[in-house]
Amino acid sequence: MRRIRLRLREHPLPGGQPVAFGIGLAIALFVGTLLLLGAGHDPLKIYSRMFDASLGGPDAWSITLNRAIPLGLAGLAVAVAGSMGLWNIGAEGQIIAGAIAASWVARIGGSWPGLLLILMMLVAAVAGGALLALGPAMARAKLGVNEIITTLMLNEVALRLVQWLIHGPWKDPDSFNFPLAPMLPDQARLPTLFGRAHFGLLIAAAVIIVISVAVRYTAWGYELRIAGSSEATARYSGISLPKKVLAVLVLSGAIAGLAGGVELTGTTDRLTESISNGFGFAGIIVAALALMRPSGVAAVAILFGAVQIGGQSIQTLGVSSSVSTILQAFILFGAIGAGVFSRYAIALEKDALRTTEEVQS
Amino acid sequence: MTQPSSLEKKEPLSVELTEVWKRFPGVVANAGVELSIQRGSIHALLGENGAGKSTLMNILAGVYRPDSGQLKLHGRSHQFRNPSDALSAGVGMVHQEFRLIPSFSVAENVVLGSAPSLIKTGQVEQRVAEMAAKFGLQIDPSQPLWQLSMGERQKVEILKVLWRDAQVLILDEPTTVLTPSEVDDLGEILRRMADDGRSIIFISHKLHEIAGICDHATVLRQGKTVANSLPVADTSQDELARLMVGASPTISTQQSAAVIGKPLLELKNLSAQGDRGMNAFSGINFDIKSGEIVGIAGVAGNGQRELADVIAGLRPSISGEIIMDGADITTKSPNHRFQSGLAYIPEDRLGVGLAPRLSITDNAILRVYRHQRKGPFILGQKALSYCADIIERFGVKATDVNGPIAALSGGNLQRLLVGRELDGKPSVVIASQPTRGLDVQGVKAIQELLINQRDSGAAVMMISEDLDELLAISDRLLVMEGGVLRGEFDPRSASRQEVGMAMLSDAQVRATP
Repeated sequence: MRRIRLRLREHPLPGGQPVAFGIGLAIALFVGTLLLLGAGHDPLKIYSRMFDASLGGPDAWSITLNRAIPLGLAGLAVAVAGSMGLWNIGAEGQIIAGAIAASWVARIGGSWPGLLLILMMLVAAVAGGALLALGPAMARAKLGVNEIITTLMLNEVALRLVQWLIHGPWKDPDSFNFPLAPMLPDQARLPTLFGRAHFGLLIAAAVIIVISVAVRYTAWGYELRIAGSSEATARYSGISLPKKVLAVLVLSGAIAGLAGGVELTGTTDRLTESISNGFGFAGIIVAALALMRPSGVAAVAILFGAVQIGGQSIQTLGVSSSVSTILQAFILFGAIGAGVFSRYAIALEKDALRTTEEVQS
Repeated sequence: MTQPSSLEKKEPLSVELTEVWKRFPGVVANAGVELSIQRGSIHALLGENGAGKSTLMNILAGVYRPDSGQLKLHGRSHQFRNPSDALSAGVGMVHQEFRLIPSFSVAENVVLGSAPSLIKTGQVEQRVAEMAAKFGLQIDPSQPLWQLSMGERQKVEILKVLWRDAQVLILDEPTTVLTPSEVDDLGEILRRMADDGRSIIFISHKLHEIAGICDHATVLRQGKTVANSLPVADTSQDELARLMVGASPTISTQQSAAVIGKPLLELKNLSAQGDRGMNAFSGINFDIKSGEIVGIAGVAGNGQRELADVIAGLRPSISGEIIMDGADITTKSPNHRFQSGLAYIPEDRLGVGLAPRLSITDNAILRVYRHQRKGPFILGQKALSYCADIIERFGVKATDVNGPIAALSGGNLQRLLVGRELDGKPSVVIASQPTRGLDVQGVKAIQELLINQRDSGAAVMMISEDLDELLAISDRLLVMEGGVLRGEFDPRSASRQEVGMAMLSDAQVRATP
């Protein structure tokens, strides 16, 4: 019997990511085929519908990108904290906080010119998300309180707050008693790029690039990565951890808040109970699949968006939502999870323990 | 299985290893080792660091496969493919690092992995208690593990192996974590197990313990057996020491080429707490002068690690002063200390000195990135050339500087770390266990780097558990025990015994908590 284990490659496999992606996707689609056959569907028909709906043309792409915007920003929020080994599980709540703050600006600045209003709304969204993350950040930095628990719990607080607002003081009198806030003023909506893709795409891309560059190439990002790899090493080299923890968690909250603001002004156009739509939790998956690297978030978010849109589209063909969800999970896991193999080699035990001849040669 | 007729009427040996070879890239760890162990005996396996003891025991325990050679247990040939093969054949190993779960009870830890399918806590605890009592292990099976001392945890590890009914027990340097009275206890426990018909292989560097505990001794040197199954009672400790170190028992001491100058590091009445809130060390007074290596000897866990951390600024002191080159740095930050010329080679290389998930380049620039940047950006080209420079000058074998540091071997990790620390021409070097776990070439390379540093006028403090090493390269030797300094020796005239006695002085007082 040979034992199979993963061994860290000294060099990442050249071209490994795309190859692994392809192989993983193929395996996922094959397994998915079995699932669909088992559920009594025609796999070819299902797959082609999924593709058409998500990537099959400009319109499909615009829907996918529309979904990728909040996913990418939420993923970035989680990944930037993750670069330092911190877990922001509160992006869901921070998205809501950002959307609430932006809505508040829209309520008081309804007569402002569009550019100013949108700008102020996004600034408020950033501040709202940051504010919700501030408590957990301070507790973690000063007292060492586990940020996973505090950020997670604040999700509930944010959710209750938005529910109270749209059932109560901010309820739209013209909404036929639905719990919805009023529509945003027209000038508060982000311009459309094409189809459903709006200007938020450029905002998200810019933020992802800036943060990726900062984490990869600046001294600040370097210190972040050192601390993420080993806190003891960070202390050893004189990096002040509490300050960094505070800054990174607040930044993470701010990015998630921005996601809420962009989603509000770009897609929903009004504050609703489901403004965050699970993007905050999906962001955790996006970040994890991007291996906590901010630079990997964009590609993962687009794929994630495509899979979600494709998965929803096949429900009109009679595929149950649970089968669709399982299929989505296969594809994501297969396509992105396989990327691990470009950095890790599969080694049989025989390789790990070399024979005498191999060493001598 | 029938033995070919032999002159001896004795039962087959419980362990018989013949002509065992094992090579690793660049090192021959075992070059035809022989080992034979009688049933019911406590057998010492002696040898200096790198003599091949650990490799041999890992082969016996199924962790490594030998390149060639034969392994017999009780007369039967075996080929182990993995540790569980070895365990089911009756070979169990108690490793130096414990593999226990703090939140589990003693009994749960003991049966973990081999528990009866339906666990009744009471029954399991009772059986563990019976087994412990049989061998004189005083331990409460229901106690949670985190409440136990290191000595008690070791008993749990021993119970784990006994629970799996091992007939051959390998204990890898079991006494390093023990107080002297616990060492005595361990000796009694091992004797009971031997009387029960089991064979114990006892790995140690400490000759006085061997004399007190073991029946036979096998000595390895440079991967070969130089003495097979010597009766310990008839062999003097000097003889064993001579066998371990080789033909010339006098260790060539490197004389300082540097003129000893003014004190560069002064510790005045320094005290600090350990991780558990107890005093790790107190009232430490000494200085290190330009051009000297001061060795800190002592059994692990007597405050040496904490002392190094306090000097480097990673642990606060509770009283006293640290003066570096005339300036008080007691409350200064780790980075300030480094910038003023204090280099620190920590005991935990990958985890304190190096960041395991980052690249070789990222790790190389840890001390200089603050100065190699333009605005907020780190200069990538400068980082690469700096890394290449360190790699070349300090002989780090690395193929891809953007690859993960964790892929480097132990010796190369340490060369990179030491190189990085010494690159800034520090005036004070604190080195904690800098050669531990390295191969012969690695040890030599690191020692030479430290000696060169001394010769160019630095003050070097070296903590090591390897007394020979300290005697060989120190200009002054201090012994730390129970958190205080127990004596100062001149390595050129001090004998191992004198130093060894100081390392264990006052031990009985400390052993009773």
